[in-house]
Amino acid sequence: MTTAYIDSVPLDRSAHLVPDDFELPYRLARIGQLADDVRACLLKMIYLAGSGHVGSSLSCVDLISVLKFDRMNATDDVFVLSKGHAAPAWYAALMVAGELDPEEIGTLRRIDSRLQGHPDRSRLDLVAVSTGALGQGLSVALGRAEARRMRQEPSMAYCLAGDGELQEGQMWEAIMYAGARQLANVTLLVDHNHSQNDGPIDAILPPYSLPDRFRSFQWHVQEINGHSHLAIRDAVLNARANQRQPSVVIAHTQKGYLTPGQILLNGSHSGSLTEQIYEDAIAELERTAR
Amino acid sequence: MKATRDWFGDILVDVSADNPDVVVVNCDLASAVKTTKFRSTFPERFIEVGIAEANGIGLAAGLAQEGFRPFIASFGHFLTGKFLEIFQSVGLNQSGVVMVGTHAGLAIGKDGPTQMGLRDLALMRTLHNVEVLQPADGHETRQMLEYAVSHRRPTYLRLCRQPQREVHDENYRFRFGYPDVVRPGTGTALFTMGGMVPVVLDALDLLPAGTPRPAVINASSLPLRPSAVREILQPYDQVIVVEDHFLRGGLIDEVGRLVLDLDRHVRFGGWGVHDYGQAGSPGELYERYELDAPRVAGRISAFLASTPADREHR
Repeated sequence: MTTAYIDSVPLDRSAHLVPDDFELPYRLARIGQLADDVRACLLKMIYLAGSGHVGSSLSCVDLISVLKFDRMNATDDVFVLSKGHAAPAWYAALMVAGELDPEEIGTLRRIDSRLQGHPDRSRLDLVAVSTGALGQGLSVALGRAEARRMRQEPSMAYCLAGDGELQEGQMWEAIMYAGARQLANVTLLVDHNHSQNDGPIDAILPPYSLPDRFRSFQWHVQEINGHSHLAIRDAVLNARANQRQPSVVIAHTQKGYLTPGQILLNGSHSGSLTEQIYEDAIAELERTAR
Repeated sequence: MKATRDWFGDILVDVSADNPDVVVVNCDLASAVKTTKFRSTFPERFIEVGIAEANGIGLAAGLAQEGFRPFIASFGHFLTGKFLEIFQSVGLNQSGVVMVGTHAGLAIGKDGPTQMGLRDLALMRTLHNVEVLQPADGHETRQMLEYAVSHRRPTYLRLCRQPQREVHDENYRFRFGYPDVVRPGTGTALFTMGGMVPVVLDALDLLPAGTPRPAVINASSLPLRPSAVREILQPYDQVIVVEDHFLRGGLIDEVGRLVLDLDRHVRFGGWGVHDYGQAGSPGELYERYELDAPRVAGRISAFLASTPADREHR
């Protein structure tokens, strides 16, 4: 039962992900299906690997899915996964999109694999930037955006960072630069899952007044429900429309988000995916399949 | 007499005229790292990030991925201090950034060890896809810059603050990884690089009459090609390495590893800076750390006169 759902994923949906002529309700329904496919795919990947960041990958699936399947122009826009430990979410999205061979699903974290534990561009050119040590992705995204601005190209640089990652000093060097230089073709999505390696972010080092902080650095700030595809879609559209400022989308998410009300591994950062938990999660995705 | 950082500032403008992809990422040190001429000539290609080297390195990496050839320039000590960022965003990311580290060695003098580029080589040598270049004079700076804009590999360009005389003429041809025999000699090959090349040449002139003169080898690009070093070393059975860098991790280790790979016995000695360094005038510092011409001559004489048994070990 479990494998049947997973194995059907890329086959019956990759040909037409979200057709251009789909009206909004149909688009949102299709994005919802694809996002669930991504969840199923990344869970299988991490289960087969025997380790991986389940909670951190699941919390950003909806953000990645809207970008990947609906809002991001794959040929021009660039996506930087600064929170590199969520690599399985990106690999899974690539598989669902038909860009990565489903046969590779069992190779995550294996020796000589293209699917390294953290994105490694030297092994897989479907990741734009090598990341893993936190805090660096936004700076590289700024370089890519600055290059596009210098060439007067209209494309965007998207960067997905964790909320805990905002504790890295380099993030604020980059945020200061982008605001001061009005680098409007950058959108930073903060996966605000309120949880980091050692516990709740509020217990480790609370990010007080996060929206105000960004505003004081001259950024355009939107705060949304990071599991609402409609909200993500609107926020990304708004960000692109703002030609005067870089944009941050502070997306409130839940670590380990599977389906509404279902949180895997109690939102742990890198808890182990046992066979039972994995089977139950896939069954839950099947039960709620849209 | 002109410092390689000054040569860099002038020649960068020359090579950039023909290479529109060259951009400069600056970290609030333009006057010290000599990017002011580039800034005034190509203001639209000059990107100021402020005192934020980590962000600058990442931003340069992104520009490189987009097809630009960014030169990010700062004191070598500050730039390579951001090693995690260089490792990931430049090295692992295969991003063709030219990292320009100035103020190599003790020559910054009175500002002291927090500004001295004394461990930059050690750090940059660990990254297998980063090419390290340190010119010894203006001719070599020009050739290295022409080379650096001809490809897109990650590069570390190490530059000096102290004015130096030319040790090459216009016929010199730089080849990456090939050590350059600046002066032939007898019995001993002495490897050095950058600002130490003219100092070593001066030291040889101070050796007592009748002392066999070591050959002076300018190892200006790393990693050295093992075959080229093997070939150069054929006539020699003694090797000395002198460097304006920490004793560990730099040229001594680079050459020493290649010497160990030779299937014959070669006597080996070398010295550099054995502690963190300190404030003082450049003259005082080079004397104290035995890196000025009279002290280099003294140590060469001692090495040549000693036997393996009575060699000093540091």
